[in-house]
Amino acid sequence: MESIAFGIGITALAGALAAVAGAAENTESDIGSQGDPNSQVQLAPQMGYLHRIFNKAIAGEPPAYGLWVALGAGLAWAFMAMHVNPILAIVLGCALAVFVQGVYATTAYLGRIASLSKFGQPVFIDVLKSMTTVTMAHAFVAIFTTVTICHLINAALGHPFPLPLLGLVWGIALGAAGSATGNPFYGKERQYQTQKFGAGVPIAASGNIVRYAEAGERNSLDNGWFSAKLGGPASGLCFGLIVFLELWRTVLFEKVGAGWGAIVVGIIMILIFTVIDRYIEVWARKTYGPYTEPAKEGS
Amino acid sequence: MTAIGAKPAAGATMDIPSTIAGIILLIVIVGATYFLVGPGMMFYALLGVIIGGLLISFGVHFVPVGGAPAAMGQAPGIATGVAMLAAGAGLAGLFGGAWAAEQGLAVAVITGAVGGGLMMAITCMFVTFIYVFGMGIPSASGKVAKDPITGDTQTEYKSQGTEGHGLPFVSYVGGVTGGILGGGGGTLIYIMLLDVYKEALPAMMKAQAAQVVPIAVSLAGIFAIGMFLVNAVLTAYNITGTIEGPHDPKFKRFPRALVASAVASALCGMVAILIVAM
Repeated sequence: MESIAFGIGITALAGALAAVAGAAENTESDIGSQGDPNSQVQLAPQMGYLHRIFNKAIAGEPPAYGLWVALGAGLAWAFMAMHVNPILAIVLGCALAVFVQGVYATTAYLGRIASLSKFGQPVFIDVLKSMTTVTMAHAFVAIFTTVTICHLINAALGHPFPLPLLGLVWGIALGAAGSATGNPFYGKERQYQTQKFGAGVPIAASGNIVRYAEAGERNSLDNGWFSAKLGGPASGLCFGLIVFLELWRTVLFEKVGAGWGAIVVGIIMILIFTVIDRYIEVWARKTYGPYTEPAKEGS
Repeated sequence: MTAIGAKPAAGATMDIPSTIAGIILLIVIVGATYFLVGPGMMFYALLGVIIGGLLISFGVHFVPVGGAPAAMGQAPGIATGVAMLAAGAGLAGLFGGAWAAEQGLAVAVITGAVGGGLMMAITCMFVTFIYVFGMGIPSASGKVAKDPITGDTQTEYKSQGTEGHGLPFVSYVGGVTGGILGGGGGTLIYIMLLDVYKEALPAMMKAQAAQVVPIAVSLAGIFAIGMFLVNAVLTAYNITGTIEGPHDPKFKRFPRALVASAVASALCGMVAILIVAM
């Protein structure tokens, strides 16, 4: 009984850490414009819209986070092997991994923006100076919490994978969840605030991103502020639920029916999420109603 | 890629000479492995790895991915890359499957499948949540007039100038199915390789069985993740850009990816097995 209570406690802690990780990851990727909407930031100067937005997407979020979390976890693992206290080892490992993220952010921003110089897009050194540190800070929160989850799963719950491998698995899962959930909010709601709310962005508007914010020209710190309202927390909740439910069903029901208990609970949870999804979909169709017949005039 | 360049083309036809070449290559690799390791556990492990690779490759076709256009509400699907999302789901499944490895092949593979499906179910539900409550957009498919599962009509919910948006129910089901197949396939590869390494490493390293378990687990895990990415990326090239799910015309391209995936999995599997067998 005690071991189950311990397992549930670790599961809850891991779920809470995952929620923080997801929120930080999404905010970091939106400040750095690393998610899928980055193509619009890249496209804007070609369409004649110069901007002051960071753009560091040279690889997708999931592989990039897979690298950074695996790096943080691997270094933490090495420090632990040198008999460093686990908490200190994780902090040190993640701090070193964040420097790699910082180098990546710097070179990616310079490379991506410099490639647009033929369209008149300058490299803003003040953007680089002020925003790289902010993405690094958010990345540290995301990497630290994810490596801590991996350590809890490995040391306290006894998962067979070593820490670096768990780091790779959960780093990729973190990037996938954050990229899928939070990016549309930044992509459509933030970059296209001139477009009507409650409709998709017409393909003809590609590249015409909003470049001015509440106080002067928009920069990526404004994007971080905006994402932290909904996209970040939703990504956090998404990743938190994935980690929590995956661990919860295993810790509580693995022993039931020689492993089949966890499978049945997993299937029930999939069905519950399917019902919720369908409910939201039907609610949206009823509430927003059908759009009028496609009109002849432009959007 | 931009939405402008994302015009889908069906292209489900098989390139016959390439297919035959692929099948011959597959037979050569499987035959060579049989010749080198003989009939037995290692040879069956290779077959298991190939089946796992096929499951992953087939599963990736189900995952609705809209890329950058989806992030602007210009196309339906999840706003990320095919390989990345499928890898995220499959690896979450592999995590669960590896945990259940001691409980037998069937339980472990199904646990992995359910883990991948659960990850996709939660992610897809949140994608719908953000589209509906964050952006005020109902789901609408650009590829079919009616949702094949619910029968909901699509066109009148599509905003002008877009190819549709959100995650229609059929895409949601596709996402979960893809997660299930990917998680199961990845776990199958892991278990097959784990058995091989547990069997071969003690003699090779002159150590006791219990001592090699951490090495066997790590090695099998790394190879399973690697083969997962090989199959996911290979399939992403077959899909080229975006796909809405099983109702998308691009879904019909899957036989091409299955042939390529079988060859790639066989080659990777042969290498993974021969490093301890030779």
